[in-house]
Amino acid sequence: MNEPPKEGIKYIDSKVYLPYDYIAGDFKVRYLNALKDKRILGSKCSKTGKVFVPPLVNSPESFAPCNEFVDVADRGVVTTFCIVNIPVIGRNLEIPYVAASVALDGADISIFALIQECKAEDAHMGMRVEAVWKPDGERQGDHEDILYFRPTGEPDAPQASYINRL
Amino acid sequence: MNQPSTTSGTSVAPLHERRVMEFPYKHSTGSTIGRFLAGLKEQKVIWGQRASGQGVVVPPVGYSEVDGSDAGEWVAVKDTGVVSAAAVVHHPIEGLHPSSTPFAFVLVRLDGADTAMAHFVTENLDRLKVGARVQAVWAPDDQRTGTIRDITCFRIIA
Repeated sequence: MNEPPKEGIKYIDSKVYLPYDYIAGDFKVRYLNALKDKRILGSKCSKTGKVFVPPLVNSPESFAPCNEFVDVADRGVVTTFCIVNIPVIGRNLEIPYVAASVALDGADISIFALIQECKAEDAHMGMRVEAVWKPDGERQGDHEDILYFRPTGEPDAPQASYINRL
Repeated sequence: MNQPSTTSGTSVAPLHERRVMEFPYKHSTGSTIGRFLAGLKEQKVIWGQRASGQGVVVPPVGYSEVDGSDAGEWVAVKDTGVVSAAAVVHHPIEGLHPSSTPFAFVLVRLDGADTAMAHFVTENLDRLKVGARVQAVWAPDDQRTGTIRDITCFRIIA
Protein backbone atom coordinates (compact mmCIF):
# COMPACT_ATOMS: atom_id res chain seq x y z
CA MET A 1 0.00 0.00 0.00
CA ASN A 2 1.82 3.09 -1.19
CA GLU A 3 -0.96 5.62 -1.54
CA PRO A 4 -4.44 6.35 -0.27
CA PRO A 5 -7.53 5.29 -2.27
CA LYS A 6 -7.78 7.07 -5.63
CA GLU A 7 -11.40 7.86 -5.00
CA GLY A 8 -11.51 10.37 -2.18
CA ILE A 9 -14.26 11.35 0.22
CA LYS A 10 -16.00 14.25 -1.50
CA TYR A 11 -17.94 15.89 1.32
CA ILE A 12 -18.09 15.97 5.07
CA ASP A 13 -21.13 17.02 7.07
CA SER A 14 -20.33 19.42 9.82
CA LYS A 15 -23.15 20.71 11.95
CA VAL A 16 -22.55 23.87 13.93
CA TYR A 17 -24.59 23.52 17.11
CA LEU A 18 -25.03 26.55 19.34
CA PRO A 19 -27.18 26.09 22.45
CA TYR A 20 -28.23 29.37 24.04
CA ASP A 21 -29.89 29.91 27.39
CA TYR A 22 -32.02 33.02 27.31
CA ILE A 23 -33.14 34.59 30.56
CA ALA A 24 -35.96 37.12 30.49
CA GLY A 25 -35.70 39.40 33.51
CA ASP A 26 -38.36 41.34 35.38
CA PHE A 27 -39.24 43.87 32.66
CA LYS A 28 -39.08 41.40 29.78
CA VAL A 29 -41.29 38.91 31.60
CA ARG A 30 -43.94 41.59 32.19
CA TYR A 31 -43.76 42.50 28.51
CA LEU A 32 -44.17 38.87 27.41
CA ASN A 33 -47.01 38.17 29.86
CA ALA A 34 -48.84 41.30 28.67
CA LEU A 35 -48.85 39.94 25.10
CA LYS A 36 -51.24 37.21 26.28
CA ASP A 37 -53.76 40.00 26.94
CA LYS A 38 -53.08 41.68 23.58
CA ARG A 39 -51.21 44.44 25.38
CA ILE A 40 -47.83 45.80 24.32
CA LEU A 41 -45.91 47.15 27.26
CA GLY A 42 -43.29 49.89 27.18
CA SER A 43 -41.36 51.76 29.84
CA LYS A 44 -41.03 55.51 30.18
CA CYS A 45 -37.77 57.33 30.86
CA SER A 46 -38.00 59.33 34.09
CA LYS A 47 -35.89 62.11 32.59
CA THR A 48 -36.88 62.48 28.94
CA GLY A 49 -40.31 60.81 28.95
CA LYS A 50 -39.33 58.65 25.99
CA VAL A 51 -41.10 55.31 25.80
CA PHE A 52 -39.13 52.17 25.00
CA VAL A 53 -40.64 48.96 23.63
CA PRO A 54 -39.89 46.30 24.79
CA PRO A 55 -39.51 48.01 28.17
CA LEU A 56 -35.97 48.90 29.23
CA VAL A 57 -34.80 49.32 32.82
CA ASN A 58 -32.77 52.40 31.95
CA SER A 59 -32.77 54.71 28.98
CA PRO A 60 -29.75 53.99 26.76
CA GLU A 61 -29.86 57.68 25.84
CA SER A 62 -30.14 59.52 29.18
CA PHE A 63 -29.13 56.57 31.41
CA ALA A 64 -31.98 57.61 33.71
CA PRO A 65 -34.21 54.84 35.11
CA CYS A 66 -37.49 54.07 33.38
CA ASN A 67 -39.82 53.99 36.37
CA GLU A 68 -43.21 53.70 34.72
CA PHE A 69 -44.80 51.02 32.56
CA VAL A 70 -47.09 52.26 29.82
CA ASP A 71 -49.23 50.49 27.26
CA VAL A 72 -48.52 51.39 23.65
CA ALA A 73 -50.87 50.75 20.74
CA ASP A 74 -50.78 47.58 18.64
CA ARG A 75 -50.59 49.77 15.55
CA GLY A 76 -48.06 52.18 14.22
CA VAL A 77 -46.01 53.33 11.27
CA VAL A 78 -43.36 51.67 9.11
CA THR A 79 -40.18 53.67 9.68
CA THR A 80 -37.87 51.58 7.56
CA PHE A 81 -38.13 48.21 5.85
CA CYS A 82 -36.45 45.66 3.66
CA ILE A 83 -37.79 43.26 1.07
CA VAL A 84 -36.64 39.70 1.68
CA ASN A 85 -35.99 37.70 -1.48
CA ILE A 86 -34.03 34.82 0.02
CA PRO A 87 -35.93 32.03 1.80
CA VAL A 88 -34.87 31.46 5.40
CA ILE A 89 -34.66 27.86 6.59
CA GLY A 90 -37.26 27.30 9.28
CA ARG A 91 -39.40 30.23 8.21
CA ASN A 92 -42.05 29.14 5.77
CA LEU A 93 -42.99 32.45 4.15
CA GLU A 94 -43.74 33.19 0.55
CA ILE A 95 -41.04 35.42 -0.91
CA PRO A 96 -40.68 38.26 -1.51
CA TYR A 97 -41.96 39.51 1.83
CA VAL A 98 -41.45 42.67 3.85
CA ALA A 99 -39.57 42.95 7.15
CA ALA A 100 -39.95 46.35 8.73
CA SER A 101 -39.20 48.54 11.70
CA VAL A 102 -42.51 49.69 13.12
CA ALA A 103 -42.86 52.64 15.50
CA LEU A 104 -45.95 51.81 17.54
CA ASP A 105 -48.22 54.69 18.50
CA GLY A 106 -47.01 55.88 21.89
CA ALA A 107 -43.49 54.45 21.50
CA ASP A 108 -40.32 56.40 20.77
CA ILE A 109 -38.40 53.55 19.18
CA SER A 110 -39.32 50.92 16.60
CA ILE A 111 -39.79 47.21 16.96
CA PHE A 112 -38.86 44.74 14.26
CA ALA A 113 -41.87 43.23 12.55
CA LEU A 114 -43.01 40.98 9.74
CA ILE A 115 -45.45 42.64 7.34
CA GLN A 116 -48.02 40.50 5.53
CA GLU A 117 -51.14 41.14 3.43
CA CYS A 118 -48.96 43.65 1.61
CA LYS A 119 -47.27 43.32 -1.77
CA ALA A 120 -43.54 43.90 -1.49
CA GLU A 121 -43.67 46.73 -4.01
CA ASP A 122 -46.36 48.50 -1.95
CA ALA A 123 -44.24 48.75 1.21
CA HIS A 124 -43.07 52.25 2.00
CA MET A 125 -41.92 54.48 4.83
CA GLY A 126 -44.81 56.12 6.64
CA MET A 127 -47.22 53.26 5.89
CA ARG A 128 -49.70 52.68 8.73
CA VAL A 129 -49.84 49.07 10.00
CA GLU A 130 -51.63 47.12 12.72
CA ALA A 131 -50.86 43.91 14.60
CA VAL A 132 -52.64 40.68 13.75
CA TRP A 133 -52.78 38.65 16.94
CA LYS A 134 -53.12 34.97 17.54
CA PRO A 135 -56.69 34.11 18.57
CA ASP A 136 -57.71 34.26 22.23
CA GLY A 137 -56.67 31.18 24.15
CA GLU A 138 -53.71 30.49 21.82
CA ARG A 139 -51.40 33.28 22.98
CA GLN A 140 -48.47 31.96 24.99
CA GLY A 141 -46.71 35.11 26.09
CA ASP A 142 -44.03 35.09 23.41
CA HIS A 143 -43.22 37.03 20.27
CA GLU A 144 -45.23 34.63 18.13
CA ASP A 145 -48.38 36.02 19.80
CA ILE A 146 -48.26 38.76 17.17
CA LEU A 147 -48.47 36.84 13.92
CA TYR A 148 -47.56 39.82 11.77
CA PHE A 149 -48.49 43.40 10.98
CA ARG A 150 -50.65 44.43 8.03
CA PRO A 151 -51.46 47.76 6.36
CA THR A 152 -54.45 49.55 7.87
CA GLY A 153 -55.29 51.60 4.79
CA GLU A 154 -55.07 54.82 6.79
CA PRO A 155 -53.32 57.81 5.18
CA ASP A 156 -49.52 57.76 5.46
CA ALA A 157 -47.97 59.32 8.56
CA PRO A 158 -45.97 62.49 7.87
CA GLN A 159 -42.22 61.91 7.94
CA ALA A 160 -41.67 64.32 10.82
CA SER A 161 -43.85 62.11 13.03
CA TYR A 162 -41.55 59.11 12.84
CA ILE A 163 -38.15 60.25 11.59
CA ASN A 164 -36.77 60.32 15.16
CA ARG A 165 -38.34 57.02 16.14
CA LEU A 166 -36.41 54.66 13.91
CA MET B 1 -56.20 50.72 28.06
CA ASN B 2 -54.74 49.87 31.44
CA GLN B 3 -53.59 52.50 33.86
CA PRO B 4 -49.88 53.22 33.86
CA SER B 5 -48.11 51.34 36.62
CA THR B 6 -44.86 52.09 38.36
CA THR B 7 -41.89 49.80 38.04
CA SER B 8 -41.17 49.72 41.76
CA GLY B 9 -42.61 47.13 44.13
CA THR B 10 -42.84 43.41 43.56
CA SER B 11 -40.71 42.10 40.75
CA VAL B 12 -41.64 39.23 38.48
CA ALA B 13 -39.74 35.96 38.46
CA PRO B 14 -37.40 35.54 35.49
CA LEU B 15 -38.19 33.18 32.64
CA HIS B 16 -35.73 30.82 31.06
CA GLU B 17 -35.69 29.41 27.58
CA ARG B 18 -33.20 27.24 25.77
CA ARG B 19 -32.79 28.02 22.09
CA VAL B 20 -30.55 25.97 19.86
CA MET B 21 -29.12 27.34 16.65
CA GLU B 22 -27.93 24.79 14.15
CA PHE B 23 -26.09 25.35 10.91
CA PRO B 24 -25.93 22.16 8.83
CA TYR B 25 -22.83 22.71 6.73
CA LYS B 26 -21.59 20.37 4.01
CA HIS B 27 -17.94 20.97 3.26
CA SER B 28 -16.31 19.99 0.00
CA THR B 29 -13.08 18.25 0.97
CA GLY B 30 -11.06 18.73 -2.19
CA SER B 31 -8.94 16.05 -3.85
CA THR B 32 -6.13 15.92 -1.30
CA ILE B 33 -8.06 15.84 1.99
CA GLY B 34 -10.65 13.66 0.25
CA ARG B 35 -8.03 10.96 -0.30
CA PHE B 36 -6.58 11.45 3.21
CA LEU B 37 -10.08 10.79 4.63
CA ALA B 38 -10.62 7.80 2.34
CA GLY B 39 -7.36 6.40 3.73
CA LEU B 40 -8.72 6.66 7.28
CA LYS B 41 -11.99 5.01 6.34
CA GLU B 42 -10.89 2.26 4.00
CA GLN B 43 -7.30 1.52 4.95
CA LYS B 44 -7.11 2.63 8.57
CA VAL B 45 -3.96 4.45 7.57
CA ILE B 46 -2.93 8.05 8.22
CA TRP B 47 -1.39 9.50 5.08
CA GLY B 48 0.82 12.51 4.62
CA GLN B 49 2.53 14.05 1.64
CA ARG B 50 6.06 15.23 1.11
CA ALA B 51 6.19 18.95 0.43
CA SER B 52 9.18 21.10 -0.48
CA GLY B 53 10.91 22.53 2.59
CA GLN B 54 8.40 20.95 4.99
CA GLY B 55 9.11 17.24 5.07
CA VAL B 56 6.03 15.02 5.53
CA VAL B 57 2.89 17.09 6.04
CA VAL B 58 -0.02 15.51 7.95
CA PRO B 59 -2.79 16.11 7.18
CA PRO B 60 -1.65 16.96 3.65
CA VAL B 61 -2.77 20.10 1.85
CA GLY B 62 -1.50 19.21 -1.64
CA TYR B 63 1.21 21.85 -1.93
CA SER B 64 4.20 23.26 -0.12
CA GLU B 65 3.37 26.07 2.25
CA VAL B 66 6.99 27.19 1.88
CA ASP B 67 7.24 27.73 -1.87
CA GLY B 68 3.82 26.84 -3.25
CA SER B 69 5.04 23.91 -5.32
CA ASP B 70 2.89 20.81 -5.74
CA ALA B 71 3.19 18.22 -2.99
CA GLY B 72 5.14 15.06 -3.79
CA GLU B 73 4.62 11.42 -2.90
CA TRP B 74 2.18 10.10 -0.36
CA VAL B 75 3.74 8.71 2.82
CA ALA B 76 1.99 6.52 5.39
CA VAL B 77 2.82 7.66 8.90
CA LYS B 78 2.28 5.78 12.16
CA ASP B 79 -0.77 6.19 14.34
CA THR B 80 1.48 6.96 17.30
CA GLY B 81 3.12 10.28 18.00
CA VAL B 82 4.04 12.98 20.43
CA VAL B 83 1.93 15.83 21.82
CA SER B 84 3.36 19.23 20.86
CA ALA B 85 0.60 21.40 22.36
CA ALA B 86 -2.47 20.86 24.52
CA ALA B 87 -5.44 22.89 25.76
CA VAL B 88 -7.80 21.35 28.32
CA VAL B 89 -11.52 22.10 28.07
CA HIS B 90 -12.95 21.67 31.57
CA HIS B 91 -16.54 22.55 30.71
CA PRO B 92 -17.43 21.12 27.30
CA ILE B 93 -20.47 22.47 25.47
CA GLU B 94 -22.97 19.81 24.51
CA GLY B 95 -23.07 19.11 20.80
CA LEU B 96 -20.35 21.62 20.03
CA HIS B 97 -17.31 19.94 21.52
CA PRO B 98 -16.19 16.42 20.65
CA SER B 99 -16.65 15.09 24.18
CA SER B 100 -19.26 15.52 26.92
CA THR B 101 -16.66 15.11 29.66
CA PRO B 102 -13.51 17.21 30.17
CA PHE B 103 -11.06 16.68 27.35
CA ALA B 104 -8.06 18.33 25.75
CA PHE B 105 -7.46 19.61 22.26
CA VAL B 106 -3.99 18.49 21.26
CA LEU B 107 -1.54 18.85 18.42
CA VAL B 108 0.07 15.51 17.67
CA ARG B 109 3.21 15.07 15.60
CA LEU B 110 2.79 11.52 14.38
CA ASP B 111 5.82 9.25 14.03
CA GLY B 112 7.05 9.73 10.49
CA ALA B 113 5.48 13.18 10.14
CA ASP B 114 7.11 16.60 10.34
CA THR B 115 3.99 18.62 11.11
CA ALA B 116 1.43 18.32 13.89
CA MET B 117 -2.22 17.39 13.47
CA ALA B 118 -5.07 18.67 15.62
CA HIS B 119 -7.14 16.10 17.53
CA PHE B 120 -8.18 15.47 21.10
CA VAL B 121 -7.54 13.36 24.20
CA THR B 122 -10.41 12.36 26.49
CA GLU B 123 -8.78 10.24 29.19
CA ASN B 124 -5.96 10.45 31.73
CA LEU B 125 -5.72 14.21 31.34
CA ASP B 126 -3.57 14.31 34.50
CA ARG B 127 -0.85 12.59 32.50
CA LEU B 128 -1.18 14.91 29.53
CA LYS B 129 1.78 17.16 28.84
CA VAL B 130 3.80 18.42 25.93
CA GLY B 131 5.99 15.49 25.01
CA ALA B 132 3.47 12.83 26.04
CA ARG B 133 3.31 9.83 23.73
CA VAL B 134 -0.13 9.13 22.29
CA GLN B 135 -1.77 6.63 19.96
CA ALA B 136 -4.85 6.95 17.76
CA VAL B 137 -7.98 5.09 18.88
CA TRP B 138 -9.75 3.95 15.72
CA ALA B 139 -13.49 3.68 15.21
CA PRO B 140 -14.61 0.10 14.38
CA ASP B 141 -14.54 -0.92 10.70
CA ASP B 142 -18.29 -0.58 10.26
CA GLN B 143 -18.40 2.85 11.86
CA ARG B 144 -15.75 4.72 9.89
CA THR B 145 -17.39 7.18 7.52
CA GLY B 146 -14.49 9.14 6.10
CA THR B 147 -14.09 11.97 8.57
CA ILE B 148 -11.35 12.92 11.03
CA ARG B 149 -13.60 11.32 13.67
CA ASP B 150 -12.72 7.92 12.19
CA ILE B 151 -9.98 8.41 14.75
CA THR B 152 -12.18 8.43 17.85
CA CYS B 153 -9.54 10.17 19.95
CA PHE B 154 -5.92 9.81 20.98
CA ARG B 155 -4.95 7.94 24.13
CA ILE B 156 -1.86 8.51 26.22
CA ILE B 157 0.57 5.60 26.05
CA ALA B 158 3.58 7.14 27.82
